[in-house]
Amino acid sequence: MQVKLFAALGVLAIVFGAQAVPTAQRTAADGARVLEGGWVRLDTTGSGSFGGLTSTFTRARLTPEGAAKIRPQRDPDDVDPDNRPHKAGEPYIVTQGRCGVGGPGVIEPNSAAFFVIPTRDELLIAREGPGARHIYMDGRDHPPLSRIVPNGAGHSTGRWDGSDLVVDTIGLAEGGVTAGGWRTPETHVTERYHVADDGKRMRITFTWTDPKIYAQPHSYSFDFERLPADGYAFENWCDSGDPLQRQSVVPPEQLP
Amino acid sequence: MKAFLFAVTLMAALPPIATAQAVNPRDLSGYWELTYMDSQHVPRAQLAPRVTRAVLDAQAQKDFKAIRWCNILGMPAIMASPRPLDIRQTDRTIVIAAEINAATRYIYLNRATHISSDIFDPTTNGDSIAKWEGDTLVVDTVGFDPNKGLTAIPGGGFRTANSHLVERFRLLNNGSQLSVRFTWTDPGVFRTPHSYEFRYARLPRDYEARLPLNCDPFDETRTAFLTARP
Repeated sequence: MQVKLFAALGVLAIVFGAQAVPTAQRTAADGARVLEGGWVRLDTTGSGSFGGLTSTFTRARLTPEGAAKIRPQRDPDDVDPDNRPHKAGEPYIVTQGRCGVGGPGVIEPNSAAFFVIPTRDELLIAREGPGARHIYMDGRDHPPLSRIVPNGAGHSTGRWDGSDLVVDTIGLAEGGVTAGGWRTPETHVTERYHVADDGKRMRITFTWTDPKIYAQPHSYSFDFERLPADGYAFENWCDSGDPLQRQSVVPPEQLP
Repeated sequence: MKAFLFAVTLMAALPPIATAQAVNPRDLSGYWELTYMDSQHVPRAQLAPRVTRAVLDAQAQKDFKAIRWCNILGMPAIMASPRPLDIRQTDRTIVIAAEINAATRYIYLNRATHISSDIFDPTTNGDSIAKWEGDTLVVDTVGFDPNKGLTAIPGGGFRTANSHLVERFRLLNNGSQLSVRFTWTDPGVFRTPHSYEFRYARLPRDYEARLPLNCDPFDETRTAFLTARP
């Protein structure tokens, strides 16, 4: 019993001890310890929506070539609206109900929790569904672009800068970037993961660089809150075969 | 004698050649892959009397629907993935990420009891907790959803809300292989606990993971392939 008690106290000392160390004094090992665990994105501006939050970000400064690439983004799952009024309680279809893997939310965390699992050779960032980001920490380089099939996660390598995790990614599928940016497989995105002194908050700063697209590096940050120590991963369920999946809008009853 | 001493001194001074790297038997982190058909030892399950042909057919229909509609597969299918599993371990958690359409598995080392069924929503992977017994990691899982994902269990039977799974993970052959022995207990499905073993090969450290293969439930060619008689 005593042994178990001391072991538990030891684990707590390691976890919270690292969190108590000011960031300036943290080592890479401390950085890994404080980064480990579950995190949830915060709406720090109180805007109430993803668009509201990102509308406060500095817009990307594009080159003429970059500006020419910008085109409207549309979710391929969207269904054209039928443009007729719908009565309260009458569901209507706005998506096909396709349950995807990956997608634009792979790099930028959405409102679901994500979990960081740091190990010696690789740091895994996993969500509450299929797929994960594999960030190679063993010093390897990116492979040539010709060997990467562009996708939502790209190819990521990481290193510790003090106790900050710095991740470099290429090989992303072409598409839009938050706050008016654009990306191609050649574009680099650097993420800096910085955990606050109290260990409870984290900031990820994204910086996009690509001389063909950006006149200057395009940066913005998201803030996150640590899940409680006894928190656990949920499981995101989506069934494309469920007709209710496609009845995505149901007008509510109006109060008299 | 002088020649012998010279040889011993020289051997001590030279770096070891192809010395096996020390393996921590309690570190499962790495990429693991089921190899040729000899990596799965799966006896036939002894099914309970209530598991009739009609029950099995109904369950097979549910499983077919999961595949047809690209549902996440869950346990035990994730452990039988034809692609490598990425297993990453810290003091608190073990995570298993697959390259198939299955939710990432989380195994918790930092708690000794399951989350209360009052608050845990059953999932395709269930709630997994683990502890070390010597060099064997013993994982205990309950909380399966009987209606989601691929429920079929190797050797026969299927998972239900009452299923209890114990897995014993152990490194073999100086860490080049990972043995996982699965034991399912569910009186409604199995007459006796049903056990089988998989052995995974460790992949080189420079292996690079791939995203799960895309599964499009609205691909008509795929649907025809799955539903039409060959």
